[in-house]
Amino acid sequence: MKRDFPDAALPLALLMAAIPLSPAFAHTGTGVALGLESGFLHPLTGLDHLVAMVAVGLWGAQLGNPAIWVLPITFPLVMAVGGLIGLSGIDLPFVELIIAFSGIALGAMVAFSVRPPLWVAATLVGVFAIFHGYAHGRELPEAADAVSFAVGFVVATGLLHLSGILIGVLVGYEAGAKVVRACGAAIGCVGLYFLLGAVGFIE
Amino acid sequence: MKKWLRLVTAAVALALAPTAAHAHLVDTRLGDFYSGALHPLTDLQQVLPWIALAVLAAFQGAQRARWIILVFPLALAAGGLVSLEVPLPSFGPVLGLVLVAVTGLAVAAAARLPLGVLLGVAVVMGLLHGAQNGAAMVATTDRVLFLSGMTAIGYGVITLATGSAIAFLRGAAWRPIALRAGGSWVAAVGIMVLGLNLARPIAG
Repeated sequence: MKRDFPDAALPLALLMAAIPLSPAFAHTGTGVALGLESGFLHPLTGLDHLVAMVAVGLWGAQLGNPAIWVLPITFPLVMAVGGLIGLSGIDLPFVELIIAFSGIALGAMVAFSVRPPLWVAATLVGVFAIFHGYAHGRELPEAADAVSFAVGFVVATGLLHLSGILIGVLVGYEAGAKVVRACGAAIGCVGLYFLLGAVGFIE
Repeated sequence: MKKWLRLVTAAVALALAPTAAHAHLVDTRLGDFYSGALHPLTDLQQVLPWIALAVLAAFQGAQRARWIILVFPLALAAGGLVSLEVPLPSFGPVLGLVLVAVTGLAVAAAARLPLGVLLGVAVVMGLLHGAQNGAAMVATTDRVLFLSGMTAIGYGVITLATGSAIAFLRGAAWRPIALRAGGSWVAAVGIMVLGLNLARPIAG
């Protein structure tokens, strides 16, 4: 008797192939992996951090050479100093307020296309970097693996700067320059939201 | 769809089932070679400064960078051998983090170093990391295989990273800047974890 290959065989085979035959570990993220993951997600899950990092890249791109590389290179180094302050147990005042304000200030710089001398821009970004680094540094002792946590959040911070720079490349076009300035305005609004939250106006 | 085509597709789909591949290398005679090779790769505190050292060497030019490929693996092997007789110094973890910060800062600054200084950093780093990896061996570890694996991976990583960095630097003006930005990331990690270590010493 002739038996046809049933039509359900292929989908069934695909379904079976998709089922992992290896054991599922619910907590694989230990040590280095967990440290990398939590460190990488730390700047990405805090919108106030995230927009400020993107704004640094945007502003650098808007200011052009050498700010486009001076700001993203100096930021992690100054941020490390902020991290050291956090680790040392020194209490910096108004951390949340200043992090929120960094979004407003950097967003405004981009939105209004402010072009100060390089040292002024670097100083402004450096001051904010200390407070962002301080916030990250306070988390470092709690990390599963301090080195991988630090690698994770430094890489994430750098990639956020790079994202800002890549968006900022649009300043070479007339319409693109407006888009970049609009991004700055949006970042300023996010910063304002967090500032209002920090002072208790928004729950 | 023809029957044979469905059969073949179903067979391929099943053949691609996501099972874990276990090659059982640890049970083979060369198991400790792979243990030695993998040991430094699982520690970012070692991999990061290796790559930073390679990039730093690349900034010195190909002619100078070649010395690193010879000197670093030899220092790594020497460190491993020393660990068989001498216990790991207590300042080892701090020195390791200082090396992360220093090599990162030197890359961020695109520093031009005298060859002696560059090789000195490579020797100190190789000796320290060789000793740290060597100290991880247990009584049942085949020491020759473990140290051979460690030296081989050190040679492989430093050669590939140096060659890649030299090739990467030959091109657009943004490329050195990208490497310098990477150096600043490494330095930032080194500075912060060094600070943490000094404030709250961690085992290393």
